[in-house]
Amino acid sequence: MGYLPCGIYHEYYKQDHAWWQTRFVYVKMVLLVLVLILFPYLVSPMWLSVAYTISYYILACMGVQLLIGYCGQITLGHAAFVAVGAYTSAMMVLFIPWPKLIVDWGLAYPISMIAAGIAAGMWSVLFGLPSARVKGFYLIMTTMAAQWITVPFIITQYVSRIGGRGHYFSLPPGTVKLGPWVIDSDVKVYYLSAALVVLLTLVMANLLRSKVGRAWIAIRDNDIAAETLGVNIVWYKLVAFFVAGFFAGIAGSFYVTALYFVSPEHYEWFFSLMWVGVILIGGVGSLHGTIFGSMFVVLVFKFLEMTIIPMTDMFPWFAMKLIYIKESAFGLAVVLFLLYEPNGLSYRYWQLKNYFNLWPFSY
Amino acid sequence: MVKKIILPLLILSLLCTSAWAAEVVKIGSLNDVTGATSDVGKDMALGIREAVAYVNDTGGINEKKIKLFQYDYGYRVPEAITTYKRFRDYDKVVMVLGWGTGDTEALSPTINRDKMPYLSCSFSGHLCDPKKTPYNFVYGTDYSTNARAAITAWYEEIWMKSPKWKKAKESGRKPRFVCSYAFASPYASAPIKAIKDQAKLLGFEIGPDQDVSLTALDAKSQVLGAKAFKPDLMWHGNTTMSVSTTIKDAYMLGLGADHIINNWGFDQNLVRLTAEAGEGVIGAAACAFYGMDVPYMDKVVEYTKKINPGVAQEVRDIRTVQAWVKVQMAVDAMKIADKKGQLNGPGILSAFETFRDWSPFNTPGALGRPPVTYTKTDHRPSAVSMIYIIKGGKITLLKKIDMRAKYADKWMSWLGW
Repeated sequence: MGYLPCGIYHEYYKQDHAWWQTRFVYVKMVLLVLVLILFPYLVSPMWLSVAYTISYYILACMGVQLLIGYCGQITLGHAAFVAVGAYTSAMMVLFIPWPKLIVDWGLAYPISMIAAGIAAGMWSVLFGLPSARVKGFYLIMTTMAAQWITVPFIITQYVSRIGGRGHYFSLPPGTVKLGPWVIDSDVKVYYLSAALVVLLTLVMANLLRSKVGRAWIAIRDNDIAAETLGVNIVWYKLVAFFVAGFFAGIAGSFYVTALYFVSPEHYEWFFSLMWVGVILIGGVGSLHGTIFGSMFVVLVFKFLEMTIIPMTDMFPWFAMKLIYIKESAFGLAVVLFLLYEPNGLSYRYWQLKNYFNLWPFSY
Repeated sequence: MVKKIILPLLILSLLCTSAWAAEVVKIGSLNDVTGATSDVGKDMALGIREAVAYVNDTGGINEKKIKLFQYDYGYRVPEAITTYKRFRDYDKVVMVLGWGTGDTEALSPTINRDKMPYLSCSFSGHLCDPKKTPYNFVYGTDYSTNARAAITAWYEEIWMKSPKWKKAKESGRKPRFVCSYAFASPYASAPIKAIKDQAKLLGFEIGPDQDVSLTALDAKSQVLGAKAFKPDLMWHGNTTMSVSTTIKDAYMLGLGADHIINNWGFDQNLVRLTAEAGEGVIGAAACAFYGMDVPYMDKVVEYTKKINPGVAQEVRDIRTVQAWVKVQMAVDAMKIADKKGQLNGPGILSAFETFRDWSPFNTPGALGRPPVTYTKTDHRPSAVSMIYIIKGGKITLLKKIDMRAKYADKWMSWLGW
């Protein structure tokens, strides 16, 4: 039983925050990475698109989790920042006359992805500025303004019209290149998504155990107390908005590889709402919660689809009448989680983990 | 709960999947019955299932039955992508019946890479150039041709002939024209460049576009925005609910302009929703309206009653008839491909490209669909647009326009937009 953490005691904060606290955790993480690498060989290709949709939601929700779960700043306009990232990336790939060397080395897309993160981060800071003066419901209104000003107004009316294509951009095949690899198949999109999720989760986890992360949590718990302790709350709130926007920008830029197509319709307010629902289901204030919530939402829709499609052959009324179950499922899940498990799926995971960690003396 | 609900559901789904051991032709259908375009999508979804039932009852695809995988994606692109991939990888369908412009254009790079024939309800002109999108097909005259035809019909039949515009015409001023549509929607924005080009060609003065959402319940500010320009004609690019809202607000605020509408905003529901505000409204249509006296309409009506008896006849609409045209077109292409032993993507593509003056059921005039021709260089199904007008609360044919015959020198240059 030596690999179980039961009976291990930490004497220093450094040990408490270490990445690899026990050999068991180390093995668990290596296994997780192995599963991620082998995933395309273990499942039918259909599941790859499900996997990278989950990754897209994780990347997008990471910023929502940071703002709501760790910094206490409620946001209802996150799809706007994802849209800024997607449009920045797509437009840079399409319209910038990149030097041949950059194109040959496949650097245009990675550069555009970083630029997308920075642009979305800056845009998020702009709409985070009111957080210096307002909070709670009033902050919700300002973040909602981000959605309405960005997507239906700026992107739809002005940005989308650049290039004369209409109201959307379609990227020619082969234009999204990462080094020597052209991202042109579900497997490649999946690997890119998995790499980004791992990387950004590490970044986020590291940030949370730093001075910045502690300041965010202090602001969330009690902003007046945090200020009394010397935390510059306006600065740290804006840093939170920048980082959340940066993650959203990366998410938007990533999803360009899945579609080779960007349209304002992909960033409607529904998605801003849904991503808040994702962290409510997964667990507010938990990195695991972001991942579990994203998996739950995508997989619930998938399993409903898997049940409903075969049944419509025998019971055609299924397709028209019971289809509304699918639409209600998400709302119902949020309500049920708020009522019966307000700490979300991550709390259940934590309980389960503790049960095994403390086994056989779990009392 | 597990025993009572989930277990029987799982058993039933297993039964359903195993019941289809016989040789079948699998096709997927993406539909919107809960999303932003569900106002027209529900009737289409019903019609697809009824049309497939008819095909299966009358010999299927060369005696092979069609197995239809139909799913609502709620007009959400990520769900359209994962559902399409389910159709491709899990159900292994031979072709897909798609829905909106947004998801069809978003999926276009993928389906062309997969060589998956994709017959969509989006008639976007962008999907009609086989050099760019060889596996995309549309079954109705494309939006751009419809828009050009609608504005031309209004100019020739109303502006030139109606006493309403006699004074304005005699004063020598140009007709003033504005567009009202959801800027963010690829469907609504698809024909805007074409209709403005046609307006310029006819010598119109063009005013500022008005952005009306697909789910709009109020369009007064947009109508007032348009009113400042004093338009004589307004193009509506949205679907029925949104269009009816704009037309009613225009009537209430005394806009004074005539209205022309894209095909997804013009149906019997519009007549019901707009009442007197809809009088004189002009729109394009892909085929005959439900219940019209055309060959094979009796079969459509018979199967609506047989397959979906719970849906009242009064609420059935042109979308049902469109679904039949769509299914018949897909079926005929698959029959040709199957006879050649090539019931696959490239085989179905080649079959479509043999269509010359195709009509449903090999009967000219069936379901009121103008003949369809696809070639290797042009996937616009037809140059003929059927332009209808609401008169006395009834939809009647205003003009049948052949845009190729009318603009022979420009027709090829309009391909792909």
